[in-house]
Amino acid sequence: MTNLNAVDPAAVAEEAHLEGHEVVINKSTIILRRFLRNKTAVAGLIVFVALTIFSFIGGFFTEWDKSKIDPFSIGMAPSSDHFFGTSQAGIDLYAQMVEGTRVSILIGLVVGLVSVLVAAVYGCTMAYFGGKVDKVMLFFLEALIMMPALLVVAVATNGGGGGSFKQALPSWLLLTIVLLVFSWMGTARLIRSMSMSLMSRDFVKAAQFMGVPARRIVWRHLVPNIGSLLVLDITRGVTAAILAEVTFSFIGIGIKVPDVSLGVLIGGATSQVQTYPWMFWVPLGAMFLLTGSLAMMNDGLRDAFDPSSSSVGKAKKKKKSTS
Amino acid sequence: MSRETSPEPSESLPVSAVAASPVGRSTAERLHVAGLHAPGDAVLSVRDLNVRFNSENGVVHAVRGVDFDLLPGKTLGIVGESGSGKSVTSMAIMGLLPETAEVNGSVLLKGKELLGLSDKAMCKYRGKELAMVFQDPLSSLTPVYTVGNQIVEALTVHNPTMSKQAKEVRAAELLGMVGIPSPKDRLKAFPHEFSGGMRQRVMIAIAIANNPRVLIADEPTTALDVTIQAQVLEVLQKAQDETGAAVVMITHDLGVVAGIADDILVMYAGKPVEAGVVDDIYYNPRMPYTMGLLGAVPRVDISEKSSLIPIEGMPPNLVHTPTGCSFAPRCPLAGPECLTGEPPLRKVPGSSAHQAACVKAEALGGDVDVHDIFHAPPVPVSNFAGIPREDRKTVLELRDVKKHFPLMKGALLKRRIGTVKAVDGLSFDIREGECFAIVGESGSGKTTTLLEIMEFHKDQDGEVVIGGLSNKEAADSKTKFAMRKEMQMVFQDPTGALDPRFTVYEVLAEPLVNQGMGKSDIKKRIMELMRLVGLQPDHVNRFPNQFSGGQRQRIGIARALAVNPKLVVLDEPVSALDVSVQAGVINLLDKLRAELGLSYLMVAHDLAVVRHISDRVAVMYLGKIVEVGEVGRVFDNPRHPYTRALLSAIPVPDPEVERNRERIILEGDLPTPLDAPTGCNFVTRCPVYAALPEAKKQKCLTEEPPLEMISASRAAAQLEAETSTALDQRFACFFPDGDLDQSSLVSHASAGPHAP
Amino acid sequence: MFRYLAKRGITYVFMIFLTTSAGYLLAVSTLKPALLEQERIPRPTPEQVVNSLSLKGLNPELNPWERYVDWLTGIVTRWDWGRSPNGAFINAEFGDRVWISTRLFLASIILTLVIGVALGVYSAARQYKFSDRAITAYSYLAYIVPAPIAYFLVQLAAININDTLGKRVFFVTGISTPGMDPGWAQFVDMVAHYAVPTIAITLVGWGSYQIAQRQYLLDNVNADFVRTARAKGLTRNQAISRHALRVSFIPVAQSIAFTIPAIFAGGFFAEKIFAWPGVGSWSIDAISQQDVNAATATLAYGSVIFAIGAILADFATTLVDPRVRVQ
Repeated sequence: MTNLNAVDPAAVAEEAHLEGHEVVINKSTIILRRFLRNKTAVAGLIVFVALTIFSFIGGFFTEWDKSKIDPFSIGMAPSSDHFFGTSQAGIDLYAQMVEGTRVSILIGLVVGLVSVLVAAVYGCTMAYFGGKVDKVMLFFLEALIMMPALLVVAVATNGGGGGSFKQALPSWLLLTIVLLVFSWMGTARLIRSMSMSLMSRDFVKAAQFMGVPARRIVWRHLVPNIGSLLVLDITRGVTAAILAEVTFSFIGIGIKVPDVSLGVLIGGATSQVQTYPWMFWVPLGAMFLLTGSLAMMNDGLRDAFDPSSSSVGKAKKKKKSTS
Repeated sequence: MSRETSPEPSESLPVSAVAASPVGRSTAERLHVAGLHAPGDAVLSVRDLNVRFNSENGVVHAVRGVDFDLLPGKTLGIVGESGSGKSVTSMAIMGLLPETAEVNGSVLLKGKELLGLSDKAMCKYRGKELAMVFQDPLSSLTPVYTVGNQIVEALTVHNPTMSKQAKEVRAAELLGMVGIPSPKDRLKAFPHEFSGGMRQRVMIAIAIANNPRVLIADEPTTALDVTIQAQVLEVLQKAQDETGAAVVMITHDLGVVAGIADDILVMYAGKPVEAGVVDDIYYNPRMPYTMGLLGAVPRVDISEKSSLIPIEGMPPNLVHTPTGCSFAPRCPLAGPECLTGEPPLRKVPGSSAHQAACVKAEALGGDVDVHDIFHAPPVPVSNFAGIPREDRKTVLELRDVKKHFPLMKGALLKRRIGTVKAVDGLSFDIREGECFAIVGESGSGKTTTLLEIMEFHKDQDGEVVIGGLSNKEAADSKTKFAMRKEMQMVFQDPTGALDPRFTVYEVLAEPLVNQGMGKSDIKKRIMELMRLVGLQPDHVNRFPNQFSGGQRQRIGIARALAVNPKLVVLDEPVSALDVSVQAGVINLLDKLRAELGLSYLMVAHDLAVVRHISDRVAVMYLGKIVEVGEVGRVFDNPRHPYTRALLSAIPVPDPEVERNRERIILEGDLPTPLDAPTGCNFVTRCPVYAALPEAKKQKCLTEEPPLEMISASRAAAQLEAETSTALDQRFACFFPDGDLDQSSLVSHASAGPHAP
Repeated sequence: MFRYLAKRGITYVFMIFLTTSAGYLLAVSTLKPALLEQERIPRPTPEQVVNSLSLKGLNPELNPWERYVDWLTGIVTRWDWGRSPNGAFINAEFGDRVWISTRLFLASIILTLVIGVALGVYSAARQYKFSDRAITAYSYLAYIVPAPIAYFLVQLAAININDTLGKRVFFVTGISTPGMDPGWAQFVDMVAHYAVPTIAITLVGWGSYQIAQRQYLLDNVNADFVRTARAKGLTRNQAISRHALRVSFIPVAQSIAFTIPAIFAGGFFAEKIFAWPGVGSWSIDAISQQDVNAATATLAYGSVIFAIGAILADFATTLVDPRVRVQ
């Protein structure tokens, strides 16, 4: 159809002017600009950053901490003394929220980042070696997908036992490790299929025929071309990890008291939702802000990376990548 | 069949009767056919059609005032490059543009206005009076329904009362009509069980199901091989004869329409720039763009001594309305008068139907040499030109190279059920300064051959010698490294071959860095390369997507030349480019070969390009070379029936030649290499074999013909006596002079007394 | 076709074997029923604990590998999945619970699929209109709520409805009221028990289907074959509903592979929240009871469900896409 790359005579003059200044806009600058143009995404980013800051320095604004009991205010509604009220036992919810949000964000970030890294290495290795190696690694990956993660989490965190890791590790770290083990497979499969299709592209063949060593091809051609996918998967992975933490802690198999997280707070308050509603709704609201802001950011990032998203009509034509 | 159908052909008119109608026509009649004749006669009449799209960058004015009349039973060819608005025009007529498109003007079908009709109201006409065949047959049929189901649907929509049985009978009849064997059974097949050519036949069957008055074919053969293209064009003509429909043929290929169109409309930047009877356009073009287009296409039937005509620059961006002639920025004749106001289509003096949109149309008579106008570069002369072939050094030699893929089947325990012989015993050599081309249909093993050469490793079946380095003797990394300096590759798709995340500088630096060149040397070399391929050196900081297709291919060529190779492998180097751009790239390749003393190994399906650029050519069929030799010899005197068929399938941009040609139409598709017969590979489609007596047939079936020189006796009988040296032409056929089967010969000869 | 399915079946059996074995080894090395036994009153001596566990085939003094071999031999030779520390037989216990779970999931799976696909088509047809935006926004919301919390919220809502109406319309826990007479009353009772969990699972589940179906249909709306259908004389809507819709089902059918395990996992939480004595709640209880054999059995069940999902997806894809039909 119409040749969008066509240079029209009117623009040639302007272009000639620009050339003098070497204004070739950097790709990352374009992406940043597109992201910043997306109001929802920026709002998401602000909320997420605000929550992160709150979870790290919020503790300085209250004299209470998560284990200190205020005997004079048991089960108090939010007030100027206790910003979010207190629990049945007289523990300040604000202090617990600071700690819980931090734990949830940390778990999310660690799991999100590390799992994408693992997935990238695993996926690229499969695509790069192909053949038998690919087959065996794919089988292992599918077997892991088949394992009900839930039960393994439960086993790992409940294993009562002298010799088990439960004693050695705090429950949040244990949960982080288990979540990591079960979170990278989907991304790895996606990266594998993407790298495979890249490997068959002509520019990779061209590099091979030039005699460029394989290591360099992976580093210079493959990795930059799946970069956008990796960034998207980090935000997606962080969201999924935060959700998983809340889920498992909520039903009592994730993080265990005395450790605090959003999931623990929400789960612990279910029985008191009628009597002390703030104990339930405040951490639930925080969780929504957290996951919601990440989802908004993810949406903005996807649009920023998608080269076809700039045209209005084409924004809907986002093909799912072949997997 | 003849195009000379009467203005009101009755559907019941038997084919033979149409064929018997008087051939040829008076000049007056010819003139009457074209251009703006009384709309009353026209079955389809388009006036001042305008289409605008909204895009992020502004309103794109894709079609700007198209006018034409289509008479019953006639064929109108709309010719233009990508982005010229020809497809948008056809979609606007069909009412298939998205709702966001703004369409103005008038489209009258038998006097009824179609523009402005609702989707529902248009449905009465679409598929009944107006039918369309689309470009890509692979995606144009719904994958989940059977072919029969999809044909029957077209019948059901317009004939709700037709019985189910009647519809099925009609569907089978239609499939048979478009040449699909055992149509009854094939109704139950799904589209994916059909090849591209077969699917396009099904599309034609759907289009003619309700005997439309107007059939629009939008690049119906662009995605197909030449032999299949010839078949499909034949089917289209047959369909036109059967239904008496008027045809609008949209194409970028001036050869395709030369033989079948009555009138031609040339489009550029959304506007018709020249219109007229087919002979006027081809023999007496008055618009520089048309002249350039005709000069940009190489010819397969003539060996040319001149360079092709490149049209510099790119078509304008249609977001901005051109203030002057839209072609002026690319036109070598443009003067100040061309920049004030767009010239309208005006009658060319001395002709009632020929119109051109050029202020200088009168001055551009028949005696103007287009090569002078467009400053076609002189034919470059290589240093090797005077040296006989035998005295030049060999840069590449293949000895009995084979590539066989095992075909496996089975669940857990895989067993081998056959072998796909993608490349089967290939031997040839390329000398210094020479261009060797491999031609053949897709699936013939051309590209596999290239990949085998590029792979260059020890375990290959057969020997590959590149610049004296053999894969058998030393295929260690050091030899490989040396080999990569000798030989580089240019890819078919210029977009896919460049990493979108690299700047041009990085693209060109990659091979140099790899060869361990210093930073300042790299910079110098890159500037040199940019100039060499005709790009501005200060564009090195741009990304590939900021260049046009032709420029990207130049970058690809520059990258291949970076390490100063002796041999460049070209995989369909121009097939992804527009005609006008293609000429520039071919000229560049020609120039580089002469200046740098390069040798080329080229794979191409466009035989005209091969004829223009190559010295020697090999014709491949199912993994084997069936004919090889000097280009002129092979093309002018083809001996193998396959070469003959291939050459005869290629349309030539010359209406006169096209009309008088006898065409060999091969049966069916290329067989899968798996079913390759034991004797000669070609027997399943061979027109000579079909005409042979039984006794001789046996020889073709059982023995494999060797690739041999023309035997002396035959050569003596046929060829000029001056052949002192051995003729450079070998072929693999037992009966090269055998008669052709009459049923595979098709002629549209209409050499009437009035033909110019 | 059959051979293909058989081949896939064999692969999955092998995978189930591997995951189950890995699960057993993990469970046997972390779960220590002996510790719980020691909390009994009167406190048994360590010898008594070992004896009591040994009788049930759970001798804590054997190393994990020996116990794995014993356990595997039991399954392979007698199809005996062992016993719980409290003496219950896994086979019997599992048999009771598996139907409770299956009944719960089956209704939810069907509802999720039907509602999700229907809403996807509906919202695609009304792209960028208010109803599309509302439906799609809901689906994205469902994505950021953890399943058990959503179930809990549905449960809260049901309680509120009961409170507002002043009578018990929905049961928010349990699977039936004991001692009901068979007949109409029992049926009503069953529906009242099933309603809330089924609605909860469905509400959370359909979102991803709606988004996927909407996307796939929109991808196909401008496909070449839809254009062909319109060129035949079908209106745009006819062409889309006859051609694009059918093609857009193909990827959705493929994704069934992941829905069934997902709903199964969701079912775990649902059983826990709504106090249904199914496989899910059993498994979580088993783990807190340090019950190695029960935990492994439920893990194996989870893997089987996954395999069934994958095979069903293959089957569904073959049904809608002639291109993958094996000749």
